[in-house]
Amino acid sequence: MNSWPNTGPGTGVGTRWGMGMGAVWRAARAAVLRRRLQTVVTGLVVLCGTTTIMLTLGLLDAATTPFDRAFDEQRGAHAVASFDIAKVSKEALAATARRPGVEAAAGPFEQVVVSFPRTTDIPEAEGPLKLVGRADPGGPVDRVHPLHGRWARAPGEIVLNLRDAGRPLRPGMLGSRLLAPGVPPLTVVGLAAGMSQSADAWVTPAQAAALRPSGVQMLYRFDSASTEQDVRAGLDSVTAELPGGALSVAQSHLELRRAFSASADAYLPFMTLFGVLGLLVAVLMVANVVSGAVVSGGRHIGVLKAVGFTPSQVVAVYLTMVSVPAAAGCVTGTLLGNVLAGPVLNTAFQGVESGSAGIGISPWVSVVCLAGMPLVVAAAALVPALRAHRLPAARALSAGGAGSAPLRGRGLGVQRLLGGSRLPRPVSLGLGQPFARPGRTAMTMAAVVLGVVTVTLTTGLTSTMIAFAEAEASPVPQVGVRAGRPVFQQTAPKLDDARIEALLRSLPGATHVTAKVFVDVHLSGHAQRSAVNFQRGDPSALASQVVEGRWPAGPGEVAAPPSFLVQRGLAVGDRITLELDGRRVPALIVGQIMSGDPRFLWSTWATLTALAPGTGADHYEVRLAAGADADAYAAAVRAAGPGLHPSIVRPDTRAAATVVGVASVFTTLLIVVASLGVFNTVLLNTRERRRDLGMLKSIGMTPRQVTIMMVTSMAALGVAGGLIGIPGGMAAHRLIVDNVGVVVFPESMKDIWDAPLLVLPALSGVLIAVLGALVPARSAARLTIAAVLHNE
Amino acid sequence: MLRVSQEDIVRLDGVRKHYGETAALDGVSLRIGAGEAVAVMGPSGCGKSTLLNMIAGLDRPTGGTVVVAGEDLGRLDETGLALFRRRHIGMIFQFFNLIDDLPALDNVALPAQLTGVPARQARRRALELLDELGIAGRKDAYPAVLSGGERQRVAVARALMNRPALLLADEPTGALDSRFGEQVMDLLIDLNQIGQTLLIVTHDPQLATRCAGRLVELADGRVARESALERAE
Repeated sequence: MNSWPNTGPGTGVGTRWGMGMGAVWRAARAAVLRRRLQTVVTGLVVLCGTTTIMLTLGLLDAATTPFDRAFDEQRGAHAVASFDIAKVSKEALAATARRPGVEAAAGPFEQVVVSFPRTTDIPEAEGPLKLVGRADPGGPVDRVHPLHGRWARAPGEIVLNLRDAGRPLRPGMLGSRLLAPGVPPLTVVGLAAGMSQSADAWVTPAQAAALRPSGVQMLYRFDSASTEQDVRAGLDSVTAELPGGALSVAQSHLELRRAFSASADAYLPFMTLFGVLGLLVAVLMVANVVSGAVVSGGRHIGVLKAVGFTPSQVVAVYLTMVSVPAAAGCVTGTLLGNVLAGPVLNTAFQGVESGSAGIGISPWVSVVCLAGMPLVVAAAALVPALRAHRLPAARALSAGGAGSAPLRGRGLGVQRLLGGSRLPRPVSLGLGQPFARPGRTAMTMAAVVLGVVTVTLTTGLTSTMIAFAEAEASPVPQVGVRAGRPVFQQTAPKLDDARIEALLRSLPGATHVTAKVFVDVHLSGHAQRSAVNFQRGDPSALASQVVEGRWPAGPGEVAAPPSFLVQRGLAVGDRITLELDGRRVPALIVGQIMSGDPRFLWSTWATLTALAPGTGADHYEVRLAAGADADAYAAAVRAAGPGLHPSIVRPDTRAAATVVGVASVFTTLLIVVASLGVFNTVLLNTRERRRDLGMLKSIGMTPRQVTIMMVTSMAALGVAGGLIGIPGGMAAHRLIVDNVGVVVFPESMKDIWDAPLLVLPALSGVLIAVLGALVPARSAARLTIAAVLHNE
Repeated sequence: MLRVSQEDIVRLDGVRKHYGETAALDGVSLRIGAGEAVAVMGPSGCGKSTLLNMIAGLDRPTGGTVVVAGEDLGRLDETGLALFRRRHIGMIFQFFNLIDDLPALDNVALPAQLTGVPARQARRRALELLDELGIAGRKDAYPAVLSGGERQRVAVARALMNRPALLLADEPTGALDSRFGEQVMDLLIDLNQIGQTLLIVTHDPQLATRCAGRLVELADGRVARESALERAE
């Protein structure tokens, strides 16, 4: 008597899912080994798709999650409100904590803006700092996170707000003494990070009171604060019973959140688009591979069913077949994504004041990629695999062997039309092939279209970025001259500001001289550090980069880059208040320039005179005549005075190089993936049409004609893909350049398309098709006819 | 060995074909004269199809020489072999090997079109052939809707398209029922009677005796016997 357990796939017992899995696994493993090339291709495509989507999701997550987490942990203030001490009492302010809609409040804390000159190498202690008197870092709102040292306990002690907790503690920071005119020396006893950005530094309440505070601060958390309207409603409630004008200025947590994510947001359209493209290509590729495996494996399906595999088990075989390389690609892609996330996030969050929020990718992103990608792959594979489920065993066995022809009746009219054309027969046969398998053709075409979209997008981005770099670069030689500063151990110039300007104008070659000085200012109602570049003389080269409004001309006029405006929720036409050493100068944003540092504004000398009279320029921008020798001019400057430090201004092409570089990497990846899609299709077509190919060769089709036929079949898709993909790529380009956030491109840099520029994208479809088709086409040309034709 | 008096279309000298240790053909020498009809018979695995492949230039021998229509096939590269087949060989297969996507007329016209003959001219010649074979009325039909006999007639027409010196038939009636098989046999006889050289590989003694004037029997990759046949009516 047979003692073997009777649980095979043909027994009926094995039809239970778990019990037949061994057989399913063995069949799937055999399928994987039989299709090594497609297995590798699937794995690579899923790897690329997972990496791109991981980076996209990671950036999306890092743009908000770390801020929200740290903000919630610190019970960050939904509103930091500054009140005029002359108009409202501290008692009245304390009572606002009980107003409707207020969940929690802290304060009142006295505050004062003190300007610290650049005398140390601690950037956190330079310029106008908002000092707030707080007895401790805790409380119901804005629990400041201590990083190093301790909290201020006595007058003369100060705790600096380290705006990026990740920044390493520099030697000598703790214990250093900060000196400012009219203020007693303050010793740095601690460093802390507050997500509410309620202060640049904290001192004891007694110290704050001694510094003649300009106002008092209240920190509020509201029951509802998810929109600007909510925050405004909360503030309205708080101020309802206070005297009119008591509230000087209020800063919303939403502005901080916006500032945190602004830089990352600039990369998001770009990354999202490439992430989605990568995912789509992976889905198409997997669907194509499984579809091809099912179509060409008809006899295999028949055999599996004949030996007792249930339809579901047959589907499981095909899903497992593709899941093995997909899982490997997914795991590797997730690991690679995590490795690449570091440099990508560093770039995306460069210069962002992150406070105590640790910039990184949350674990859920990896989990989603590890779990989601296989699901996406399985879903993509399921549809074609279900054909194997439906295929009756008898039909599969009778019709399905190697070399089975496509289903009859498709594209016959087209074939006939082409057969009567004047085209060489291999070409006309090739052109007719895509019509025999419309589903496969659509999938291959989609891969080609995605490739063309990517090439078009990259071509457009490259053109835009080159135009951008050219616009930022001066068309004439330019020299920057900095006046030496003893505080930085440099020799001071012997000439005063006006004479330096006159000297620079008098030197041979100079056509335009702009005198400048950067001054750190406090922007009322905004937590972020700001600085204004005040200018006099000839308009700066930057004036030509105004994309909205105009360049500042009169007192109280400023221009800003998009990142400055986005981070602070401002726009051209808005009014702001510049604060320095107790002086407050109202200003109007009259223009927006193409791009720039999110901390900087540009304004006129007249504005500086109102804000900080007597301040001189320390930097001069000199534009020379076209063709002038910048080196000779710099030498002349050096010879004129040892305190002048000239440097030739070189165009900074790093941003352009980064965007073009990243786009090129993605483009190469997607072209490879799209070509692999074509490769797979031609491979399937070759397997499927082996008998036809053998017959054609038997009647005298040369290997070259076979290659031409197979390549033509895909080149036609390439041409069509080019025509469809180019508008898609142009739209994607427009979407990105319109939504970069940190750069506002003028229309001339966005509307870059002309006929020569479209040549490369137009050819890219054919290139992808030919690249993908050539190897399998040549292999088809080498097909051994005898075996194909006689083994029926 | 029988010698034929006519000019030799096929000349095989000591042809060997080994697949690893296995010898499919082991020193076969054979002559086929112009206008002859030769049947090759033998048990499965004796090397019939291999012999056909050698003569058609579909496979290369391990040793010996194959000269067909004056061309030494051993000297031709793949492209040369394709051009040789195009010019000199017509092939008929057991399973017809028609292209399903093309109607009968275009299947037949294909060999001429591969040589660069314009479509209109090629179709005209294809129609003449289909007419001669009695299936011109089915010229627009796709292989799927043709009967087995009709398909094989289309295959014969395609094989004749470039006026080949040699028509090779590999089990031409093997997939047909007796009625359609009879039709194909009659067709082959007619073709030979108008001077077409034929080489038929078959298991079917009736096909051999009806269509061929000479029988070559293979066994274990060797020519076991050659004999003249009296054509049965």
